[in-house]
Amino acid sequence: MKSASHMLTCRALVAGTAAGTVALAAGDASAQRCPAVPPPRTKGPAIWLSYDQHDMDEMYDQSVYAFNQKHTLARSAANNKIAAATIGKSERFAYGPTPIEGVDVWKTKKPNAPVLIYIHGGSWRSGRSFDFALYAEPYINAGAHFVAIDFTNVRDTKGDLFPLVDQCRRAVGFVYRNAARFGGDPERLYLCSRSSGSHLAGCVVTTDWDKMGLPRTILKGAVLGSGMYDLKPVRMSARSKFVAFTDAMEHELSAQRHIDRLHTPLVLCIGTLETPEFQRQSREFADKVRAAGKPVELVVGQHYNHFEVGDTIGHPYQLMGRELIKMMKLSMAA
Amino acid sequence: MQDNQRCKPTVSRRALVAGTAAGTMMLATGDALAQRCPLTPPPRTRGPNVWLDLDQHELDEAYDQSVYSFNQRFIQERRNERNELMAKVLGKPERVAYGSGKLEMVDIYKTKRPNAPTMIYLHGGAWRGGRSAQGAYLAEPFVNAGAHFVNVEFNNVPDFKGDLMPMVDQCRRAVAWIYRNAGSFGGNPDALYLSGFSSGGHLGGCVVITEWEKQGLPRNILKGAVLGSGMYDLKPVRMSARSSYVKFTDDMEQALSAMRHLDKVHTPLILTIGLLETPEFQRQSREFAAALARAGKPVKLIQAKGHNHFEMGESLSNPYGIMGRAAMEMMKLTTAA
Repeated sequence: MKSASHMLTCRALVAGTAAGTVALAAGDASAQRCPAVPPPRTKGPAIWLSYDQHDMDEMYDQSVYAFNQKHTLARSAANNKIAAATIGKSERFAYGPTPIEGVDVWKTKKPNAPVLIYIHGGSWRSGRSFDFALYAEPYINAGAHFVAIDFTNVRDTKGDLFPLVDQCRRAVGFVYRNAARFGGDPERLYLCSRSSGSHLAGCVVTTDWDKMGLPRTILKGAVLGSGMYDLKPVRMSARSKFVAFTDAMEHELSAQRHIDRLHTPLVLCIGTLETPEFQRQSREFADKVRAAGKPVELVVGQHYNHFEVGDTIGHPYQLMGRELIKMMKLSMAA
Repeated sequence: MQDNQRCKPTVSRRALVAGTAAGTMMLATGDALAQRCPLTPPPRTRGPNVWLDLDQHELDEAYDQSVYSFNQRFIQERRNERNELMAKVLGKPERVAYGSGKLEMVDIYKTKRPNAPTMIYLHGGAWRGGRSAQGAYLAEPFVNAGAHFVNVEFNNVPDFKGDLMPMVDQCRRAVAWIYRNAGSFGGNPDALYLSGFSSGGHLGGCVVITEWEKQGLPRNILKGAVLGSGMYDLKPVRMSARSSYVKFTDDMEQALSAMRHLDKVHTPLILTIGLLETPEFQRQSREFAAALARAGKPVKLIQAKGHNHFEMGESLSNPYGIMGRAAMEMMKLTTAA
């Protein structure tokens, strides 16, 4: 076993040295993985595409493919502190009866301004809405309100995703009905999100708004980064340890299966250093939306990993930020 | 930029076990080291200290960014792609000669605002790589916010047989040229600012200690400078493997160590470093900042968590990133609509 491990290591390193990095042979995404070769293992039967159970668990575990996760999170936290010190605290509005059911609003000075609604990520398990001054700052300066939705997490719902989706939908309805309270134009609501937040956002843009007495085109556009739009493979991964998937949940909360209810132009963003499954999820959703004749654009960030894609929401000149500025017809010119 | 990614061809089982337990592959010894290629270097016998508590091997690594920035290649490739986009968004810059040498040119990205301030940029590349065109992506935020952006082209050290003096001279002449010719591109000569990154931070340090009076130019020709991850004392650099391609001399070390010419600084400085950079690159900026402060010169040191060397350089392209924000504030620019 030791010698097998050594052989693998040497091969990977030789390939890496030749390429000028310690890339494993399978391309950039692999190279962003921790370059140490994992201990040898016997591949199990393929359970999804060509992946065995171990592969599938890794596909839905960002830390495997973004070895600098810890640093990107530290960087975001530090940048958030700077932004918060600059733009101040958000104003909180309740969209529902429980304490978590609130939105954090950072206001622009522009009257009757467009509104960017944000749904945070965190594998459905973590994250709070008040932590996103770093994403809010570019947009409030460019003339749009920034509204981050607070919602519960699967730890508090015994693994049920439905309450999270329901809350996000109600929050959007609240923003539409109450935009004027903070100077927002209800006819110019936009959505953005990353990671598990983009799964929720996929569900939000496939909401049956008619049933809520709201216009189908309530959201004028959405930029969704690194999301999941088909829960079947996710259900087969280790994420099922903390999400109590059911057939109804898998079906109802896979946006890909409800494209008929989609009335919002979409921009889907991924990075080429993300896990193959996360890349495939957005590609396939984009293909299906396009096939249905609905407006969608797939924006592929070369050499971004999962966390670096999300970071660009706070960067009006890069990937997601650039798309959002364009979509909302904002200007970065003084 | 240096291309050799220096991952060592052994994997220690200990590192693997530790990494697996943490869910990632980090060594136990702190953030900056964890950002290094996580493969454990082969065991070696430590030599005597040659600089502070570093032996020769450690000093060489402390001046080799690739050792501490595992994702160097990705960040450089992101930059290249953004530069391609810039060709469409901004178009080609106006390229004007500031001297008679073939490369003595500045790339001017013009803002629409009349009599606008100008940001001058000195690129990095360990003095031996890099071209002004690679900084195209840095221009857009400044141009939009109402400032001209001028990328200085200069020769790299192999063109000068390892001599840094002519590179510094080129940068100084470029600044003088911009002052005298700002009107030709709508710039206000009394609102010139400087930025530089990495070895460009070193060159920037030399530019701000220029004796401008001797050229009939105002001492405060530069109203402010943001220097990122630079080197301000060449002594330890001279002792590192960088001396294999820079032909250091006593004169060069003395004249081009900004730290030793604080009396000539008449430009308020902002020095930035990332806390995942090599220990020596962090120390260089910290010590320069402390020395400036002691000399009563206006200086601000920004130490950014979670950023390695190349991530710091990239942050100049984001008005809400570390270097970009510092530059915008310094130039009193705003991105507010």
